[in-house]
Amino acid sequence: MLLRNSALGLALAVTAAATLAAQAPATPAPVGGCPPEPLAFHKCALEKAKTFSPPRTPSGKPDLQGYWRGRLSQSFSVEGVSGNEPLVGSLVMPWEKAPPMVVDPPDRKIPYQSWAIPIGRIGVNYNEYLDPRTACGSAGVPRLALQDANQILQPAGDGYILWLHEDHHSQRVIAMDERPRLGAEIKVTNGDSRGRWEGNTLVIDVNNFNGYNWFDDSGNFYTDAAHIVERLTMIDRDTIHYEVRVEDPKVYTRPWTLAWAQVREKEQGFELLEEACREGERDRERLLQGGAKYYFGEPWRGR
Amino acid sequence: MRHGLTSVLTAVLLSLAVPPASAQTPALPRTSDGKPNLQGIWQVLNTAAWDIQDHAARLGVPAGQSVVVGNEIPYTPAALAKKRQNLENRATADPETKGYLPGVPRIMYMPYPFQIFQTPEQVVMVFEYDRGVRNIYTKGTPHPRGPLNWWLGDSRGRWEGDTLVVDVVYFTDQTWFDRAGNFHSEDLHLVERFTPAGPDHINYEVTVEDPNVFTRPWVMRMVLYRRKEPNVRVLEYDPGRLIDEASASR
Repeated sequence: MLLRNSALGLALAVTAAATLAAQAPATPAPVGGCPPEPLAFHKCALEKAKTFSPPRTPSGKPDLQGYWRGRLSQSFSVEGVSGNEPLVGSLVMPWEKAPPMVVDPPDRKIPYQSWAIPIGRIGVNYNEYLDPRTACGSAGVPRLALQDANQILQPAGDGYILWLHEDHHSQRVIAMDERPRLGAEIKVTNGDSRGRWEGNTLVIDVNNFNGYNWFDDSGNFYTDAAHIVERLTMIDRDTIHYEVRVEDPKVYTRPWTLAWAQVREKEQGFELLEEACREGERDRERLLQGGAKYYFGEPWRGR
Repeated sequence: MRHGLTSVLTAVLLSLAVPPASAQTPALPRTSDGKPNLQGIWQVLNTAAWDIQDHAARLGVPAGQSVVVGNEIPYTPAALAKKRQNLENRATADPETKGYLPGVPRIMYMPYPFQIFQTPEQVVMVFEYDRGVRNIYTKGTPHPRGPLNWWLGDSRGRWEGDTLVVDVVYFTDQTWFDRAGNFHSEDLHLVERFTPAGPDHINYEVTVEDPNVFTRPWVMRMVLYRRKEPNVRVLEYDPGRLIDEASASR
């Protein structure tokens, strides 16, 4: 009997493995000719960027225009999801195992100051607060660029670059001129974005955050002192290397870096749709009744 | 007869002295494809956000003149009763109090700035109020197949001379025109006309059609003014977040 059960179990396991093997691609497809793991992609993309000559706008700037989607990215955790994470086995909206998008420091973890570790990383934020995205705010920088469809426009005159995101009708106006920055007291959800071209790379310098946003579903966070520098470089006609350097002396011990890809959305006639959130969202009320609080940066305030 | 001839002569002389309106248009800023360049930060200077019709001052509400041509809105009798009810219940019934996207054309005359961006295929309006975005496609594509219910509708634009004409459909019945309870159904159909009147002014006209609510189409007209302050920016007024923040701190 025991033997029979074992044999049956083994047979089932073999069948399951065979099914998985049939479904999963033998090797994950490369992205922009680079390996599909964020750190390997990052290193390869930095090399490719040295030789690729991007298409140009009529005024001679690299032409990043079009519809894009995040690739090699997921919203569970920028530090990646290990197979041991209990949420992977969750019956409700299970998480998926994934490599980290943190490419520096070498241990691929956010270099939190010790007080902040139990707040991020599926800690106080995750357990006690409503994810600011679930509360229908803008997902913030850089979370906006993780997955959903987005569009980059380079309007006439080159004074601005516009980065539109379908997610909760979010948009970023990136000023390409040298006007003075906003005053320090003016805090905005997506920050104040100033752009410039460094060779073929669009460099966006972002300040004036209100610190009400997370990086991911895990509650990894920054504060209103954050300074984020994004670098967008085409490595072929359909792939952008997206690199994000994060600096925040209130909460990290050193600056650190994220990287993933934006790949061109090629569906014929594709357009961004209106994604209202607050207007129809029902989870928010249920979660608030369950004791979750709105997140307006309380865990870091006063630091 | 003598008098008549003088009048004719005067008219001829006047018509020579005053250049026809079209002669002024080359002074408009233009994009490389020759279209008027509407880019910049714009804002109305009127009281339509409170009430699109003539209204006296109330506490906290400036008096204002109608932006509705002829002032009258041709409601059906049932719709007029509903409008009066909305006005009475506005403190809680106005969708603005819930922090929702305010709809079109209301978002155009909220007392906040918005910025226009242009490419040959798309005119984008980015609003300070609620991070609103209007994508107006000018590449000749039709409205998508409905039915759709979008808070800001679906906008398709075309240029008629120097006027940007925008056709907007697929609304919800959840948005109002103003804080005075003026409303529409989801069958609202708008035709907007943006006509530059010099580099710093746009004449904005919108024709409103909704057979469920109005007995005939009607028109609003107003001026969009360019914000000229050095370093002026579209900032952020996120009503939903501000409402939630106020409720959390109570």
